[in-house]
Parts: sequence; C-alpha cells; structure tokens
Amino acid sequence: MSERLTTSVELPRPDASSWSLRALLDRFGMILILPVLLGIGGSMSPAFLSLDNLSNLLLQFAPLAIVAIGQAFVMIVRGLDLSVASMMATAAVIATSLSGSAGGVMTVFAAALLVAVAVGLLNGFLVTKRQVSPFLATLATMILLQGFRFAYTQGAPSGNVPALLRVLGAGKFQGIPYNALILLALAIVLTIVLHRSAFGRRIFIVGGNPVTGRLFGIPSDLIMIACYVISSCLAGVAGLILSGYVGLVDNWVGQGYELDSIVACVVGQVSLQGGRGSILGALTGAAMIVIIANEVLLLGVPIQVQLIIKGAVIVIAAALYARREASSVA
Amino acid sequence: MTAAVSARMEMPWRLRKHTGLAGVLILIAAVSLVGGLVSDRFITLNNFLNVFEQTTDLALVSIGQTLTILSGGIDLSVGSLISLTSCLTSGLINNNPDRIIPVVIGVLALGMLVGFVNAGLVVALRVHPLIVTLGMGAVLQGVTLLYALGPVGRVPRGFNFLAYGRVYGLPLGATIAVLLCLLIALALRNLPLGRQVYALGDDTNSARLVGLRRTRILMLVYGCSGFCCAATGLYLAARFGVGQPYTGVNYTLASITPVVLGGTLLSGGKGGVIGTLLGAFLIALLNNLLNFMDVSKHYQLVAQAVIIILAVSVYVERRRTV
Repeated sequence: MSERLTTSVELPRPDASSWSLRALLDRFGMILILPVLLGIGGSMSPAFLSLDNLSNLLLQFAPLAIVAIGQAFVMIVRGLDLSVASMMATAAVIATSLSGSAGGVMTVFAAALLVAVAVGLLNGFLVTKRQVSPFLATLATMILLQGFRFAYTQGAPSGNVPALLRVLGAGKFQGIPYNALILLALAIVLTIVLHRSAFGRRIFIVGGNPVTGRLFGIPSDLIMIACYVISSCLAGVAGLILSGYVGLVDNWVGQGYELDSIVACVVGQVSLQGGRGSILGALTGAAMIVIIANEVLLLGVPIQVQLIIKGAVIVIAAALYARREASSVA
Repeated sequence: MTAAVSARMEMPWRLRKHTGLAGVLILIAAVSLVGGLVSDRFITLNNFLNVFEQTTDLALVSIGQTLTILSGGIDLSVGSLISLTSCLTSGLINNNPDRIIPVVIGVLALGMLVGFVNAGLVVALRVHPLIVTLGMGAVLQGVTLLYALGPVGRVPRGFNFLAYGRVYGLPLGATIAVLLCLLIALALRNLPLGRQVYALGDDTNSARLVGLRRTRILMLVYGCSGFCCAATGLYLAARFGVGQPYTGVNYTLASITPVVLGGTLLSGGKGGVIGTLLGAFLIALLNNLLNFMDVSKHYQLVAQAVIIILAVSVYVERRRTV
C-alpha cells in the first residue's frame, strides 16, 4: 500500500469509449468467460442449466456480488476492506437481536446501516487521517467488530431472523430471487455513481494518483472515506440478506466473504494498485466464483477437493487476468 | 554492488528500527504497569515465564511472516500450512517414538517446500503474493482435510516436552523461538542476502535495476515463512497431543498483528524480527493482564483491536512517504 509516486505507465484509461472491437473486448471481454463456464456446467449435467438451478445460482450470487461491489470501490482508491465479513456477521446479529422489537425490518436496516456507517468512517479515518495501511486498519476493525459481537452475544447469538428478511434473502418472485433484484437496483445506481458521475471520476483520479488529486483540489481524504463507508454499508446489506438466506445467525455469517470479494475483484480486473476497475468487473468475478463453486459441487467431489480446486482457480484466474499487475507493491 | 546497497542503508535502517522497537517497549511497560497495579502476582518472574511460554506459537509464525512483509509481500497460507503440518506430525508419528526424528525433519522440509512453491508462483505467474498465498492456503486446507477430517494420530508422551518442557527454568518452545529469532535477526543484518530483503521491500523497481535477484530473495523469504509455519505446527501438535485440521485457521491474520506492533511496515522494507517477537509478547501479556482482571475472553478481542489501532495510528506508519 505504499503511496510512493510510481513512474509506471499505469494511468487509468480514458473513459471516453472508443467503439472499436478491440476496445470493447478490452473492457467487456471478461464477461465472455461466463457463458463458457455455464456451458461447461451444462455439459457436465443438463440439470445445471435448468431455470431452477440458474435461479438458485442467482440466490447465492447476490450477497457475494453486493460485497464485491463495495470492495471494488475501496480497491479503486488503493485500499482493501478486510472488515466486510465481520460487518456482515454484525449486521446479521443486529437483525436477530432486534427481531423481537416492534419496528420490524426497517429498524433492523436502520440499525445495521448506522453501525456500517460508523465502521466505514472508522476505516476511512484510520486510512486517511492516521495514514494506517488499509490492510491493517480494516484488519483492526474486523477484530474490533468481532470482539464486540462476541461480547454482545456472549458467544451464542439467539433470536430469529425476521420474516420479511427471510423473504428478501431466500424468496423468489416469478423465479427471480428478491435478493437478485436488490442487487440489480444497487448495481445500477452504483454503476451510475462510479462511471457516470463527477464523484465517480474523482474516485478514479484519487485512486490513480492521490497527489494529483490533491493538486487538482479534490478532497482526496473525503473521497476515500466515502468509499470505505459505501463498502461497509453494502457489506451490512449483504449480511442482512445472507442471514435471511441462511435462516439462522451465528457469529460467523459471511465468513470468507472478505477474501472471496477481493478475489472476485482481482479476477474482475479491479487493480490491486488502485485507479482501475469497474462494477461490471466485480460482478463478473463474483459470478465466476459462484459458478465454479457450483460446478465443483456438481462433480460430486468431496469438500476437500473443492477447496483445492478453488485455490488453484484463484491463482490461475489471477494469473490470466491480472498479468498487468506486476507483482510489485501491494 | 551489494556492499554499496548495505552501506547506503546502514544508518537510516538502524534509526528506524529503534523507533519501532521503542513503541512496542513502551506498550509492554504500560501493560506491565497496569498489571502491577491490578495484582501483585503480575510482575513476577513466574508470570512472565508463563506469558513467555504462551507467546511461542504466535512468535514462531510471526517471525516468518515478518520476512515476507519486509520483502514487500505477505503470506496468507500460514494458517493452512500450520494445520497441515500439525496433522502430519501427529498422524505420521502416531505414537511411535522411533519416527519422531524423520517426521520432524520431513515436516520442516515440507514447510520450506511449500514456501518455495509460493515464491516460485509469485515470480513465474507475476501475480501478487496476496493472491498466490491465498490460493495456496485454500489448496493446503483441502489437502489437510483430505488427510484428516478430524483429530488425527497421537504424539508420544515425550514429544510434548517441546511445548511444556523447561530447560534451566526456561520454557523450551519459547526459547527455541527466541533463538530462531536472534539467528534470523543476525542474518538479516549481516548477510548480503538479508540486506537484500530490505532493499527489495523498500523499492522493488530500484532493487531490480541494481540487479538484485528477486527469485532467490523471495525463495529465501517464503521458504523461511514455510519453515516457521512447520515449526508452529510441530509445536501445536506437541501442545495438544494431537493434530487437528482446523488448528491453524486463526493464525493467518493473527500472525500479522505482532509484525505490525513490532514496528515493521506493511508496505515492506522497514522493521525487523526482534520487534515482532516483542509484539507477540505484548499480545500474550495483554491477554494475561485481562485474565488477571477477570475480563471475559470476548472483550480480549476488543482490547487487542484497540491496541492495534492505537499503536499503528500513533507510531508505525507515520513516516510513510507523500
């Protein structure tokens, strides 16, 4: 995470779209891997491509995709957010502990988002004002949240997931999961924010080179803090949805999502060095992870082998996609 | 060429190293002071030896992690490697004292081998170490679970001397960790290859331009980290008497905390293993203090996080450029 000025050629590509085939391939080419993966699944078992299974895939895809979008925001401003999984579990614990009270789901969402904003602000504050490296700052908030959660639940969360949350997390409307609809709405709004707004341009400028940003009079710190807040809010939402999907809550809801979301972003060509990336990329990466996990399941291999395949795929995918990420500074 | 690099780095390196150490020493003193006020049994040789003993596992794994971080990378496969080596240790020895020596040697060699593979992949695929070691971690966890789905094997009674034994009153495992730490500290300081680790972490591009062999340095660094993980795995097998497939999970991220508390920069190039050792001691001391104060285990995590945030925001990363 060193912020030294690099002399590398790594400048963000201009957003002005050139419509040549090559430019299109460069920007959207990675999506082509998805039909290939789906095809492989279909050839392994016809049931894979059934509407039922596809809609189940969507169901599992949504929480990871939501987290990955937030992760992309943070990674574009040269950060990392390791606290997302902890945030997800915290949101889930909030959901069950408030389920008895009158306000219902709105209270739950409000409380979870409030905590998420606080966490995002803390992350952003540490990274910008105290110059702590993002890896470390978010690691610390991860442990902090974990500690508060354990202290609050005394190790064993109790209570039920509110009914409406169950519907949002696991229910389907005409075969389309509600959580996928939530994801769609979030993705559209955030795509506009990131790729079509002045704020989004500033995010890329700050991520590409914070010093340039400062020289242009962009409040770099504010932009970065905003990105951390966006990330933890999305993690909170994803945690609520996931708790609705799982149907019960323990202290570890969302475990593994912090690393999975980072992998999704890296595979989706969001640069670990900041300044480059897209929401579409994060979504593609998340989709790849979910599809591959599902296919491995379909092979009927034991869980152990799934881990091995997952690990290998992570490295291979990163090697294929992220060649430009010369493995210099993190 | 290397001599020139060393000479240029000499002064600032020493200065920086000592500012980092001062921070962790102050924190240790502060925790000890509070401990002394809480209980008169806190500042006793016996208690400190206990804390020292409880530091062993974290110290061992963090020493290796320090090297990878110094070189500008990170090793996220440590947790799974610890699980694997601890399972292999107890599973292969399986209560047969004759097998102890070959298995110990084999496990340590395996740890280094995994480290070499990590380094090789980082160099060959040009992928960031974060991703490579993350993938390696998943693979190793899978292999571990293939080998054993639950607690496996047993170690002979004598073997737990490694974890509980005392030599001249000093806990054996912790003493080995300290000796290993001193050895690595000396090597980092005096061997050309050691200095090159700093150079590589400080500025990868310049290191390449002056002709440092990145492959060789990374092999050394990740090999050391793998070796330290294997040592931790051996220690845990000795402590619990049996290898468990998830025994190392928490060490992956936990191993980074002492490194940072000890004044090593996560961006690489600055710091050292002595600080890490003190950092691990600080964490064990803090947990010990909270035990004395009858604070629930759950709040120990909160306290740990607060210490990290305080420490890093006050002194560690302040000297970053820009």
